[in-house]
Amino acid sequence: MELNRTLVDEKKTPMLRVEELSVSYGQIHALEKVSIEVYPHEIVVLIGANGAGKTTLLSSILGVKAPTSGNVFFEGKKIDRVPVDRNVREGICLVPEGRGVFASMSVLDNLLLGAHHNLVNKDKNLARVYEWFPILKKRKDQVAKTLSGGERQMLAIARALMSAPKLIMVDEPSIGLAPIIVNDIFDILVMLNKEGYTVLLSEQNAFKALKCAHRGYVLETGTIALSGTSSLLLNDPGVKAAYLGA
Amino acid sequence: MQVFIAQILNGLSIGSVYVLLVTGFNLLLLVAMIIHFSYPQVVVFSMYIIWLVLKMTNNNLLLGILAGVSSAVLFNFISAPLFQKIMKNREEVDINATMVLSMAIGWIITDVLSHAFNNGLPIQFPEEITGSRPLFRIGLISILPGQVWALSIGIIVVSGFFILLYKTKAGRAFRAIAEDPAGARLVGIPLVKTGFQSYALSGVLGGLTAVLLAMLFHSASPGLGEQVSHKVLAVSIVAGLGNLTGGLVVGLALGILEALVQGYISGNWSNAIAFVVMLIVIMVKPKGLFGMKV
Ligand SMILES: Nc1ncnc2c1ncn2[C@@H]1O[C@H](COP(=O)(O)OP(=O)(O)O)[C@@H](O)[C@H]1O
Ligand SMILES: [Mg+2]
Repeated sequence: MELNRTLVDEKKTPMLRVEELSVSYGQIHALEKVSIEVYPHEIVVLIGANGAGKTTLLSSILGVKAPTSGNVFFEGKKIDRVPVDRNVREGICLVPEGRGVFASMSVLDNLLLGAHHNLVNKDKNLARVYEWFPILKKRKDQVAKTLSGGERQMLAIARALMSAPKLIMVDEPSIGLAPIIVNDIFDILVMLNKEGYTVLLSEQNAFKALKCAHRGYVLETGTIALSGTSSLLLNDPGVKAAYLGA
Repeated sequence: MQVFIAQILNGLSIGSVYVLLVTGFNLLLLVAMIIHFSYPQVVVFSMYIIWLVLKMTNNNLLLGILAGVSSAVLFNFISAPLFQKIMKNREEVDINATMVLSMAIGWIITDVLSHAFNNGLPIQFPEEITGSRPLFRIGLISILPGQVWALSIGIIVVSGFFILLYKTKAGRAFRAIAEDPAGARLVGIPLVKTGFQSYALSGVLGGLTAVLLAMLFHSASPGLGEQVSHKVLAVSIVAGLGNLTGGLVVGLALGILEALVQGYISGNWSNAIAFVVMLIVIMVKPKGLFGMKV
């Protein structure tokens, strides 16, 4: 009986739980009582237009921006107001909007920065990352500013993987990339998900994102307007009209 | 030719002091995000500590050097929270506020040195640290052991610093913060802790520089720090604020320029000429010879 309960609980326990989170920049209320959940091994997408609050939500989860109210729980522990480097250590990472690679540093240095707190395992993690992204191995001594946009996005993802994360948050990876490259990037996210990583993705490119995600939330001016499985959202008339150009 | 070689050697040894000072200054600017232009005053303070400890221990060189380095590190750690507090209060790097704090620290040190040590008179370092006899003489020129030591230590410390910067975990974090502090925070680099590491490192650099200065100058006065700090600020701006490689080149160049002026024109004019040259450079290249890194 007791054992059964914990099993059931575990199944139902989200890896990440955001509870009525409000965040503001001075007078601007960027998020109003936003609640989302991400379960282990899911790909969840946040869909929203420019300025909807996607970046704010992801960076508040990571601990960059303190919320005005609400809670964030990661694996049951409350993590809002925990410093970013502690959250990274605990297994959350963010691939920032616009990649955020260190342009003047080598590819290898960028990767090792991702492993800053985890250098004992760096060889193992590097080998894995190079296996997934052979191009980065080839370019490991080049400075990051010589990479193409797609390669930079791969580097940013690979750098995040070097931190040995459980939850990877990826903020608008498709921005500024050619459609073919965007497909590659989404394929990589699906592959990583199959490898056991949990993914929280933010996108304006709703169609492709929903195609690879299990569930999604639609964020409109700081509040969750709609949520559900990907197929439900893909068939929702409102979503179709607003985000799928139908 | 003899004068030339001797002055180049002189220039390199004093230049390596400038390099160390500019490097420590740039490190604080890049990683801790403070403009600490009184950093050379802290170094002169350490010279006084070395002098005091040498006097108390009957010229135990090792203890003197140890005390010099630890005093600079300690001083940085004491002033660090003040700088951090200013930055916390304003929620962002505030160069103006950190400059005022740095200025205050500089004047406090100068005043303390003028009143609490040796009645404000210049201090003289003992032969144990400066070396007594010239190592060798060629004609009119004599090379002092202090110069050779200073140059060798300078080279070792500067190379050590660059190895640390490019080959170690802390160095990597320093470079990341220097390039993009917000991005560095996102990938999980602890900004406050790394900032403290840079205070510690600039303290070590400062303490070693104090030893070099004692070897080269044989004496110090309360006003020395201010004099040097003007030059260090000028070098870092001429090189390109925050540009470490630029600081290396321009620091050595300034040392050589000054030495050549002293050798061929007159020692009285070396400061003025050095500043005129730097003035011309900065008018031609307002962002510095090597470009700003901040
Ligand atoms: N640093 C900031 N200062 C002030 N307002 C901001 C800041 N960052 C974002 N905002 C505002 O917060 C809202 C949400 O922005 P953001 O989270 O960047 O949206 P998205 O990532 O979905 O485009 C917008 O109205 C934006 O103008
Ligand atoms: Mg955004």
